[in-house]
Amino acid sequence: MLPMFSFREKLLHRLSILVIVVVLAIYLIPLYWLIATSLKTWQDIDSVPPKWVFRPVADNYQRLFFTVVTDQRGTRVVGTSEYPWRFLNSIIIGLVSTVLAVGLGTLCAYATSRFRVAAKDDLLFFILSTRMLPPMVVVIPIFLMYRALGLRDTHLGLIILYTTFNVSFAVWLMKGYLDEIPKDYEEAAMLDRLSRFRAFVKVVLPQALPAIATTAVFCLISAWNEFAFSLILTESQAATAPRTITSKLGSAGIDWGQIAAGAVLFLLPVALFTFIVRHHLLRGVTFGTIKR
Amino acid sequence: MPVSVRQRRPVWKRALTDQQIKIAFITPTLLLLLAMNIFPLIWSLYLSFCEYYADQPESPRWVGIANYRALLTDPEIWHSFQVTAAFVFLAVGTEFILGFGLALLFHRSFAGKGLLLTLFLIPMMLSPVVVGLFWKFIFDPNWGIIDYLLRLPGFEWVTHPRRALWALVIVDAWMWTPFIMLIALAGLSAIPQSLYEAAAVDRASSWFKFRHITLPMVSPLLIIALLIRTMDAAKLFDLPWTLTDEGGPGNATETVSLLIYRLAFKMQDTGSSCALAYILLVIIIALSNLFLRQLKKVKGEL
Amino acid sequence: MSRWQWWIIVAGSLCLTFLALASIAGQKKNITIVWAEWDPAKYLRELSKGFTKETGIGVTVVEIPWAQFQDKVFTALAARDPNYDIIIGDSQWLGRGAERKHYVELTDWMKKNVPIKDIYEPALVAYGEYPKGSGRYWAVPAEADAVGFAYRKDLLEDPKEKAAFQKKYGRPLTIPKTWEELYQVAKFFTRPKRRLYGVAVYTGKQYDGVTMGFQQVMWSFGGDYGDPKTFQVEGYINGPDSVKALEFYVRLAKECMPPGSQNYYWSECLDAFKRGLVAMTMNYFAFFPGLLSEETNRYAKTTGFFMVPRGPKGHYISLGGQGLSVSAYSKNKDEALQYIKWFWQERVQREWARLGGFTCHKKVLNSPDFLKATPYNPVFRDSMKLLKDFWAVPEYAELLDSCQRHLNAAIVGAKKPKEALDAIAKEHTVIFRKAGRLKRQ
Repeated sequence: MLPMFSFREKLLHRLSILVIVVVLAIYLIPLYWLIATSLKTWQDIDSVPPKWVFRPVADNYQRLFFTVVTDQRGTRVVGTSEYPWRFLNSIIIGLVSTVLAVGLGTLCAYATSRFRVAAKDDLLFFILSTRMLPPMVVVIPIFLMYRALGLRDTHLGLIILYTTFNVSFAVWLMKGYLDEIPKDYEEAAMLDRLSRFRAFVKVVLPQALPAIATTAVFCLISAWNEFAFSLILTESQAATAPRTITSKLGSAGIDWGQIAAGAVLFLLPVALFTFIVRHHLLRGVTFGTIKR
Repeated sequence: MPVSVRQRRPVWKRALTDQQIKIAFITPTLLLLLAMNIFPLIWSLYLSFCEYYADQPESPRWVGIANYRALLTDPEIWHSFQVTAAFVFLAVGTEFILGFGLALLFHRSFAGKGLLLTLFLIPMMLSPVVVGLFWKFIFDPNWGIIDYLLRLPGFEWVTHPRRALWALVIVDAWMWTPFIMLIALAGLSAIPQSLYEAAAVDRASSWFKFRHITLPMVSPLLIIALLIRTMDAAKLFDLPWTLTDEGGPGNATETVSLLIYRLAFKMQDTGSSCALAYILLVIIIALSNLFLRQLKKVKGEL
Repeated sequence: MSRWQWWIIVAGSLCLTFLALASIAGQKKNITIVWAEWDPAKYLRELSKGFTKETGIGVTVVEIPWAQFQDKVFTALAARDPNYDIIIGDSQWLGRGAERKHYVELTDWMKKNVPIKDIYEPALVAYGEYPKGSGRYWAVPAEADAVGFAYRKDLLEDPKEKAAFQKKYGRPLTIPKTWEELYQVAKFFTRPKRRLYGVAVYTGKQYDGVTMGFQQVMWSFGGDYGDPKTFQVEGYINGPDSVKALEFYVRLAKECMPPGSQNYYWSECLDAFKRGLVAMTMNYFAFFPGLLSEETNRYAKTTGFFMVPRGPKGHYISLGGQGLSVSAYSKNKDEALQYIKWFWQERVQREWARLGGFTCHKKVLNSPDFLKATPYNPVFRDSMKLLKDFWAVPEYAELLDSCQRHLNAAIVGAKKPKEALDAIAKEHTVIFRKAGRLKRQ
């Protein structure tokens, strides 16, 4: 937030905003195209060259919920689609694993931030190093392990998995932020006859809200969109939506309208959540690098 | 956590010492990571020294370093590593330049800033497989909008042996530039205004302010952003899965992760795929260590 | 964030969890059939409602996208997953399903419960028998399929075009009977300035795309994958006939297909065809119903069909289609068998054909009703006699993967045809040696 001194700086300010808007406009073209495609009839989607102005229809969204075939006798509905159920699975798995990852991460970050822990640096490096792990490295043992434990194709299986993937990131982000919250507040609260635990809940957590919100956004995004493990570990009970969205082979070629509609609908919950917490985002990412 | 316990606190609660809290807070995370990461890692290390096919009834047979030797002498594997390295370098480089540039532009207050920022973040929230699939539609030389807007009808992207990698870079940059922008912006916002004011008193040039105040203050966060993006880019799987049909054309965009998948689930060659996964892991850990070392250096801890 | 916003999130998620739990509860006897994601699976859903009505056993048809179908099913089988009762697997899968004991052997059961004499013989061999000629069966034919061509009548039967073609090539413009003729016609209609190209054929890397397109040309040019008895491949797959065939196929793809078409499989071919980009397209018969509807194809009224052309040394067509197998890990084997028995009654097969499935029932296949029902049904019946398949050995997935990568590299020009085929021969030899089929010389 630079104070504006001169005409030159004012011009620079205006110019910067102009550049941002132009870049954003270019940047959003593919997104516009996604939304536009989801609202087009198949004739408009098929048009060569591409059609920019069209009459929007909701067909693609309606058909997300049904399975249809089209042949010379016309279009007929043969059943309901898997999309709503998989969407539901995504919500359950995404939400629970995010809550768990943020919760566990916050607790662990608090303990490492406030207490003396033996070999703290090594412990933190270990936690961080699990974030470096390419998922493909553990996919086979996890596949074999889940096979043995009967966790394949269960909600619990994916929840545990996504929590694991996200918890190291959560610890890292939360610890950085908690380090910057002065200890004085909670110590004052403890002098006021609050237990350590209650001081943590009543004093530290509210102050850490920006970091919690930010961590939650990132954890949710990664759990929400994960594909490879969902593909390998689930069949039908616990399958998440990304797989279904990409599989929309219509009666005559790929049903791009369906894919776009599925993607747009699936984007809404995450976008909404991010929009709600948008003011916390910038304050939340510090990774302990900012001295206040 | 019951609320009405302040007066008559039960014994078990009063006894919750710092030591106990510490253990109770750290243990769940540690156990989870041990069970879900360390245990599979050890198992996978063992399998990487075995001949084993997951869909055959025979149990793993110890073969020593045979898998590693076969992999390291196979030109195809080197090709995959080259593809992955080129992708990491190009994608993370592009994202860094664009992301940091945008963050510098964004670093001022104006109406609608929060909304614009959220709009920038939307591509990041989309599923990479969906993004890859839809960009195939966008890149199509006959009915896609890219060639239409660029007035280049028939210009091939994802089916061209060399340009396919660029297509991946473009799409990855589209998704993840805002991530670097967000983190850089967070760093910029946290720089105390007093530093700039002091510099203004000294009539310092803009370049001097950038070089000696802005850059040192944001570099730790930038390094972390780069670290995260590098780790993720080196693991790239979802995007080429759909955008270039599992690493096509031919195997022009077959990243190491795709190759691991191919070995494991197309060939069912569990042993070799575990060995390859380990090679990738070692490289990624080495790479991350470089970043972390740099991070400690700029934070002045080394 | 204010308190009510939190409450909305919490309340919403609770509701959804409840819904999910409610849906899991209250199940009855049910069998699960796994198949690829395409219209035939949707016809099967319709058909299976009849089975549920008659027996009270529910039928779930799980559809997996083609690109992941094989990996997914074999991964589930490797995990001994009891979720799938019936697997409608590709013809090439038989060896792997049988030798690794993922499929239940049906030989004796079929003799008692299925009218074997009604099954079209080549189909029974192709979709059910392993090893070929042994008389042991692991699947009962479900959906027969073959590669064919669709074309635009408004182009190929246009008098003006016919006259121009006659002038240029000195022969009348007809439906191509040989690959060379197909190339000529395709070349004739390739007019990039008008955004029109001659043909769309399989070139893509997904699943078995380019291999299914190319192999029929290879066989018709006199080439082959190898000797099915000795598993010798050197000199077959990279022999002069195969090289000539690949050179032809690459030339066809390069000169007569739209730009950016090196990743075409059926859906991309359909996309190009219904956008009016190509005059002819290769595709499986299973996809032709969609081309006849004006609701999905604006050229529906002027779409015609013809058989895959012949080559200088023969006439072969790539086999598609799948058989019904019972998973060895199923907990409902009896119900699964009951379903297969039900499926193979003549009236059900008639209904199957009426819905759009391609039957292997001899009587239905030759019935006037079937032949009259669509313009492509007679073409389909004639194509059935010329079908040939990829290797069906347990290692077929590795063999296929090798073909896909190198053939696609040849299509995009990253490798010369001879180089690509040499590379395939080398890899196939290694795979067969490793499997112990090919002895070291």
